[in-house]
Amino acid sequence: MKTKIHVLLVEDDKSICSFITTSLSENGYRITCALTGKEGLSLAASLCPDVILLDLGLPDMDGCQVLMQVRTWSRMPVIVISARTKEQEKVHALDLGADDYVTKPFGTSELMARIRTSLRHSHINSPERIYKALDLEINFEKRLIFLRGEEIHLTQIEYQLLTLLAEYSGKVLTYRFIMNAIWGPYMDSNNQILRVNMANIRRKIEENPAQPQYVFTEIGIGYRMLENENI
Amino acid sequence: MRKRIQVLPKFQQHLYSLVLSVLCMAAAAGISSAYICASPGNSANVPLIFAFFLALISCCTTGYVYGVLCSLFSVLWLYIIDTRHSCHLDLSPAGYPVTILCMTAITLLLGSLTSSLAKQSASLAERERLLAEAEKEKIRANLLRAISHDLRTPLTGIIGNSQAYMDHHADLTEEEKLALMTNIFEDSSWLVNMVENLLSITRIRNDDMAISTSEESVEEVIGESLQRMQKRHPSCRIRARIPEELIMLPMDAILIEQVTINLLENALSHSGTDEPVELIVENHPEWVSFTVRDYGSGLPDSLLDHLFDGTDYSASHTADGQKGIGIGLVICKTIIDAHQGTLAGRNHGHGAEFTFTLPKKKGTYENKNTCSVSGRR
Repeated sequence: MKTKIHVLLVEDDKSICSFITTSLSENGYRITCALTGKEGLSLAASLCPDVILLDLGLPDMDGCQVLMQVRTWSRMPVIVISARTKEQEKVHALDLGADDYVTKPFGTSELMARIRTSLRHSHINSPERIYKALDLEINFEKRLIFLRGEEIHLTQIEYQLLTLLAEYSGKVLTYRFIMNAIWGPYMDSNNQILRVNMANIRRKIEENPAQPQYVFTEIGIGYRMLENENI
Repeated sequence: MRKRIQVLPKFQQHLYSLVLSVLCMAAAAGISSAYICASPGNSANVPLIFAFFLALISCCTTGYVYGVLCSLFSVLWLYIIDTRHSCHLDLSPAGYPVTILCMTAITLLLGSLTSSLAKQSASLAERERLLAEAEKEKIRANLLRAISHDLRTPLTGIIGNSQAYMDHHADLTEEEKLALMTNIFEDSSWLVNMVENLLSITRIRNDDMAISTSEESVEEVIGESLQRMQKRHPSCRIRARIPEELIMLPMDAILIEQVTINLLENALSHSGTDEPVELIVENHPEWVSFTVRDYGSGLPDSLLDHLFDGTDYSASHTADGQKGIGIGLVICKTIIDAHQGTLAGRNHGHGAEFTFTLPKKKGTYENKNTCSVSGRR
């Protein structure tokens, strides 16, 4: 028998707890609730869940502190739950090592999709050889990109950017993470150059740059690429 | 000049006046001495030099004291010149009281003139401030009225539907239950939109309507707005057209996204048609324009003049049972105003059209604004 995936929810609001518990157990997950940060930390250590859903606004401690403490001993996926207007908070949590975030208010299907994505990424041991979604295909080994079967030519930087996003497809990558990965830590914090390169990529792979299908912008946070169908 | 030094604290004002008087008098004395040495015969202009500096002092110092003291000093100096150099000044010893009187009169006259001017301009500025305050107060009141009205409607729906469910759940069929729940879901989703709108407003600083802008790429903001619309209304059809080139604009992206979503949402829910909505971005030399165009019933004439003021709105919108576009538009206007842009709504013949523009460089208006703010501090 397949063991159920175990989710730990750290959230102080009872109503949110109850709806997440109901919908997750309906979908075949095992779920444990913690109402405070301390309780969450001890449960995370004793239960070793597959995923943690972490609310950032906890009564006893900051959600980011919980995240930092978990990250000192584990790489288990952490999905942050946060209010919409606080992009800074989300970016901070992502830079601290959170895998993803959902914004309140969120629907069950969105939450489910995020959990699946983060689980998939945590189980990948060897990097994918091929990315494929809709009409886009990236062959990492041969360094080739095809759109509707036709080869697309990207500059060196554009190629690096796209493959970085594809490697973490489905996950949001912060501006800082991308800048660090492509241009190194000594680039100044102005991410204009990143925007320009993204605009060029969009013009090469998207049909309408205003309605992208592959690379999505998360304003104030970073970019997210369409999930790889190949996993 | 006087207006500017009135900004300083009292002590500094007097220090400034004192220094200015001493400098002016020294200058006057120096110039007049040099003048007499250069052309000993012609000293008729010496009192004029003093008169000029006295006028300067009375214009630029606080109160009358400095002017009067300086005029006394000037007369003394004239007397010294007169006796030392024994030049033939036009002042006989008997004429000194007349000179003193004249000089004092000049300083008093000028002093009172400039101080009344300063008072006038101060009262003008005060009146302007009060007017601006009243305008802000009006916007706030309209917003509050619109909010409380718009909040009450969905809340009533939620309470009513859930109560009906709790009271009669035994007698209700599954379909009826589902219908009640759907109503609750729709009303609360609408509330979420509203709250997001209200939260976005809090990003605008209340006292001076300032926002923190950064260079953002227009296509990314539009892209995310469309993505959110798609999530909210999976069946909606929106055609977006943006310029080929990459446009970077100074803005608060979250707020502009909110404006775009509000306008799109209005177009989808109030046009009364399934024709796709168009979102068109155009690049102009000084600004960028964003147009949301629907091909529906258009805006009623009675609304055209009151689109953005939030007033005279509730009457018509309770009549046709539509949930407030009122508040959304008021919020759009507030956001666009804070960006120094423009927002206008009109009928284009086959439906309604809303256009907002954003300036490429921060407007001169805002620069002026921030200057006056920092000056006051």
